Amino acid sequence: MNSVVSVSDFYFKYLRSELVLKNINLEIEKGSFTVIIGPSGAGKTTLCKAMTGIVPYYSGGDYAGDVKVLGETTKGKKVSDLAMKVGLMLEDYESQLVSLTAGEEVAFSLLNHGFPPEEAEERTRLALEDVGLPGRESYQLDELSGGQRQRLALASLLAVHPEIIVLDEPVSAMDPDGGESLYKLLDKIHKEHGTTFIVVEHRVEFVLPYLTNLVAIKNGEVAVQGKCEEVVSRIYEDAELRPLLPELWQVKCSLEKKTGRTFKLWRSADEAAKELQSEGFGKGVRA
Amino acid sequence: MIEAKEINFAYRRGIPVLNDINCKIEDGEFVALIGHNGSGKTTLSRMFMALDHPRSGQILVDGEDIINYEPADLADKVGYVFQNPDLQILADTVYEEIAYGPRVKKLPEENIKTNVKSAIAAMGLKGLEGIYPRNLSFGQKRRLGVAAALALNPRILILDEITNGQDAVEQAAMMEYLKALNEEKGTTVILITHDMNVVRKYARRAIVLTDGHLVFDGKPQELFQGDQPVERWGLRRPVVSVLASRLGLSAANCEEFCEAVRKGGEA
Repeated sequence: MNSVVSVSDFYFKYLRSELVLKNINLEIEKGSFTVIIGPSGAGKTTLCKAMTGIVPYYSGGDYAGDVKVLGETTKGKKVSDLAMKVGLMLEDYESQLVSLTAGEEVAFSLLNHGFPPEEAEERTRLALEDVGLPGRESYQLDELSGGQRQRLALASLLAVHPEIIVLDEPVSAMDPDGGESLYKLLDKIHKEHGTTFIVVEHRVEFVLPYLTNLVAIKNGEVAVQGKCEEVVSRIYEDAELRPLLPELWQVKCSLEKKTGRTFKLWRSADEAAKELQSEGFGKGVRA
Repeated sequence: MIEAKEINFAYRRGIPVLNDINCKIEDGEFVALIGHNGSGKTTLSRMFMALDHPRSGQILVDGEDIINYEPADLADKVGYVFQNPDLQILADTVYEEIAYGPRVKKLPEENIKTNVKSAIAAMGLKGLEGIYPRNLSFGQKRRLGVAAALALNPRILILDEITNGQDAVEQAAMMEYLKALNEEKGTTVILITHDMNVVRKYARRAIVLTDGHLVFDGKPQELFQGDQPVERWGLRRPVVSVLASRLGLSAANCEEFCEAVRKGGEA
């Protein structure tokens, strides 16, 4: 497997918190759309921060093992240099916003990395268009709603054109239209640029049509990792992880157990309804 | 009781955010306030706590205009949990954060202890009392925000998207707690959420805002039945509701659906 991120025997414990990551061995496949699930407090956010160098660069703690991004260890690397290869949007995205206006916010990292002002301006314009905030350069941040500010944080990442994008719960503050259109946008970037996506997501239903790989984290360790087709039923068998699966896949696994049949890995309710109907389930459709 | 009368509001740019909103929430109700991002949910709920004021119209709390309330008196009645927990975290430890409100109210130390303890237990924060709140996970910070509001025993609890960032198990625990609070103590719960499963399962009334207009006010079941333009309002029906209606079955959750399919398949 061609990995863009590889985590080996990784251990981390914060100084003032009980939260621990231990024995993490994880490979993120190049070009994959990987979703990380796990109960809150399992260490998902810390793992995201480790993959972008923020842990341990900014958060002190006990550290062992290694994290490699694009073949190079993150040890001793500056976060700002790593940020050109791997972009991170925190769940607590408000803490990433540092400017007065939307335009300044997106241009911030570009200008800090020495992009000429004209190019920064053009990339800012395109990135704001990409996230559905066209022409909002002059808007002050408090004029944007929570969901809009989140899309602004995403625009700041996109403008840098990183090879890997890590998103920690990107749709947590979004409504269904917003969530769907954000993932549609990420899918478009994924397909057009071959960007590898790593997403921590509690609301997996939004990313169902697109995800290729799943990683389940439990108690600071990787419980399951692999291609969706191979791991969904294993995740379902784990009582603690089961409720973290999207409802549609819980229905699939539960039906498979009840009926002894095997169904496709449904990517939408429509696909599920069609297969169930064609298999003769449901009222008045059995031939 | 909270009542919004002819509420109009616009931020600096003058684009209307709320248009002629009228609604009355009685004591003991469990209301879901839903709508797309930017529909005005948060703005309206902030007015219930006097965090914003309407350009025209009136907010009444227990029949009294909200502008006549001293902040401390209002805080006795209404508890508000922000969408962004960082906006309300002030103290150095989880315990002190939850004790902050009761201390400001100058409750006796005994009562403070009891209130904090029960809020900690209710929100699953046991063992984290001495932790620096900024080191908590986002989901834990949210629960801390709710715990801090609970410690003041408000009669009306307004919760802005508190289920975000919670995993399914924590979310269920939190919602079950609010349900019990509502049913046993009669606490009014006003919940802003995008999670339609939560709305279907817990709310007895749903108020839908779209572009600052109130477009639906009624029972969640009626909202998801199929004759309301839910998608046009930027909402989605729960997956099980969609599947069940496509297959001509009736089911309220995954279990019921699978059972109905199995039976239907054999028929």
